[in-house]
Amino acid sequence: MTRPVPSYSAWALLRARFARDGYWRPLWTGRRLQDAYDVVVVGAGGHGLATAFHLARDHGLKRIAVLEKRLVGYGNVGRNTTIVRSNYLLPENHYFYEDSLRRWESLSHELNYNVMYSPRGVVDLALSDDEVSGLARRGNAMRLAGIDAELLDLAALERFCPELAPRRERRFPIVGALVQRRGGTVRHDAVAWGYARAATALGVDIVENCEVTGVRSGGGVATGVETTRGYVRADRIVFATAGHTGLIGTMLGVPLPIETHLLQAMVSEPIKPLLHTVLVYVFPGHGETYICQSDRGGLVMGGHLDGFPSFTREGRWDRLEDVVEGAVELLPQVAGVKILRQWAGTNDMTMDGSPIIDRLRYDNVFVNAGWCYGGFKAIPASGAACARFVATGTAPDLIRAFRLSRFATGHLLDERGGGPFPVRL
Amino acid sequence: MTQLSCPFCGPRHLREFEFHKTAPPEVATEFARVYERIDRSDISDEHWQHVGGCRGWLHVRRNPSTGEVLEIRLVGGGGPP
Repeated sequence: MTRPVPSYSAWALLRARFARDGYWRPLWTGRRLQDAYDVVVVGAGGHGLATAFHLARDHGLKRIAVLEKRLVGYGNVGRNTTIVRSNYLLPENHYFYEDSLRRWESLSHELNYNVMYSPRGVVDLALSDDEVSGLARRGNAMRLAGIDAELLDLAALERFCPELAPRRERRFPIVGALVQRRGGTVRHDAVAWGYARAATALGVDIVENCEVTGVRSGGGVATGVETTRGYVRADRIVFATAGHTGLIGTMLGVPLPIETHLLQAMVSEPIKPLLHTVLVYVFPGHGETYICQSDRGGLVMGGHLDGFPSFTREGRWDRLEDVVEGAVELLPQVAGVKILRQWAGTNDMTMDGSPIIDRLRYDNVFVNAGWCYGGFKAIPASGAACARFVATGTAPDLIRAFRLSRFATGHLLDERGGGPFPVRL
Repeated sequence: MTQLSCPFCGPRHLREFEFHKTAPPEVATEFARVYERIDRSDISDEHWQHVGGCRGWLHVRRNPSTGEVLEIRLVGGGGPP
C-alpha cells in the first residue's frame, strides 16, 4: 500500500521544511496494470482523468484504471489555448457548459491543486451590424438561462479592453462585442496533473504507454480490452479518446459521424502584460483568430481548423499566417513579436459540432468523444456527468442531448447552423 | 502537405482547394452518406473541389498520418481532354 499523497497547504509546506527527503512524491506513479477492473477508462486526457476521478470520488468505485497510449496530458488537454467559457446559443449546450464553468470556479479547491482559473472575460468581436445582431441573440439566449453576457458598444468595449483601441481605424472596423466576464483561461497542464493526482490519491491506476488495440466480447457484452501490455478484464469500458475516436469506431465496427481534423495553436515570445482578456475575432476572407496572454507573457493564439482529415499533428503553414494576420490586425503593437512555438492537435469533428456521450455497440462500452475544438472547457462537467452515466447506467439530463442517436432522429445540436460538415470557411 | 496536383491545372497551392468530406463507400444508405464517416489513419478517400481554379470536383486519396497524396482523379472518372 502506498502512502497517501500529501495535500497541499501552508501547513504542508511547513512540515515539508522539517521532513526528511521524499516528503513530496510524484503526483501519479507508474502503477502496475492489474488483470481486472470495474471500469477501464481509455485515454488519460482531461476527460478520461476527470471521469475516473468522479467515478472514484462520487460513486465509490474501487477498481478503476486509466490506460494511456502515450503520457498523461500528451493529447489535447496539453495542446489547447486554455480558454473556458459558456457563451453558447443552444440550451443543451449552454446549460452544459455553464455547469462546467461553475465547476471551473471551484476546481482548484476540489482537486487541492491550483489550476489557475482566471476569469478575465471572453470577448467576441463583431465587425458588422449583422454580427452584432447575432451576438445579441446569443447573449439574450444566455441571459435567459441565467448566464452572464453583456453586449458592449464601442465606448463600453474601450473601457473593458483599452489595449484593443476599438475605435482605431482599421481595415475591418469593430462595431460591437459580446463579453462573458466569468469566462477566461485555466492553466491546461495543471488540469491534467491535478486530476491525475486527485484520481491517484483515490486509488485509480493510471498506466501510461499502454495502448488499447481491441475490445474482446462475449455474450453480447464487452469483457475486456486488448492492450500493448496484455489483456485486461473490465466490467465497463469508457473511451475518452477525443482526437482518435473515429479510429475507435472503426475498431469496433461502428461508423461514427466523426472526421479527424487538425487544429493548431501558437505562442509568441513572452512580452510584458499587454492583453488582459481573451479576444475572439472572426474576420472576412481568412477566418479567425482568438488570442490571450499567458501568465508567462506569451500571446497564445489559435484560429480555424486546418480543413481536412489528418493525424500528423503538424499544422499547415498558411493557417498560421492567417492567425497571425488576424492578431496583428487586432493589436498592431504586437507586429514585431516573434512566434516561439507552434503545434497542432487532432480533433474529433462531429457532423453537428456537438459532443457525443453515449454507449457504443455494447451495453457496457461508453464513449465520451466528439468534442470538436471545444473539449477543454467541458472537462469538469463532462467528467462528472460521464461518471454518473457509467456508474448508474442512466445518462444525466445534462448530457442526454449528446446521445449518438440524435443524428438518426434529427435532434442535431448544430450551434453554427452549418449542416453536416465540420469545415465551412 | 502544401500542394495538390489538379488533373487539369497541375500542382497548385493547397489554399486553392477546399475539402468537402470524406468519400462515402460505394454502397451506403442515405443516412450514412450524410452523417457517417470512414475514419482511418492509413488511407483517407476524400472529395475536394478546386475552388480557386477549374472548380473541378476531385477524388483525393491520401495518407492522413503522413500527409502523403496517393492518388488524385476527377470524381466520377474522366479527365482533361
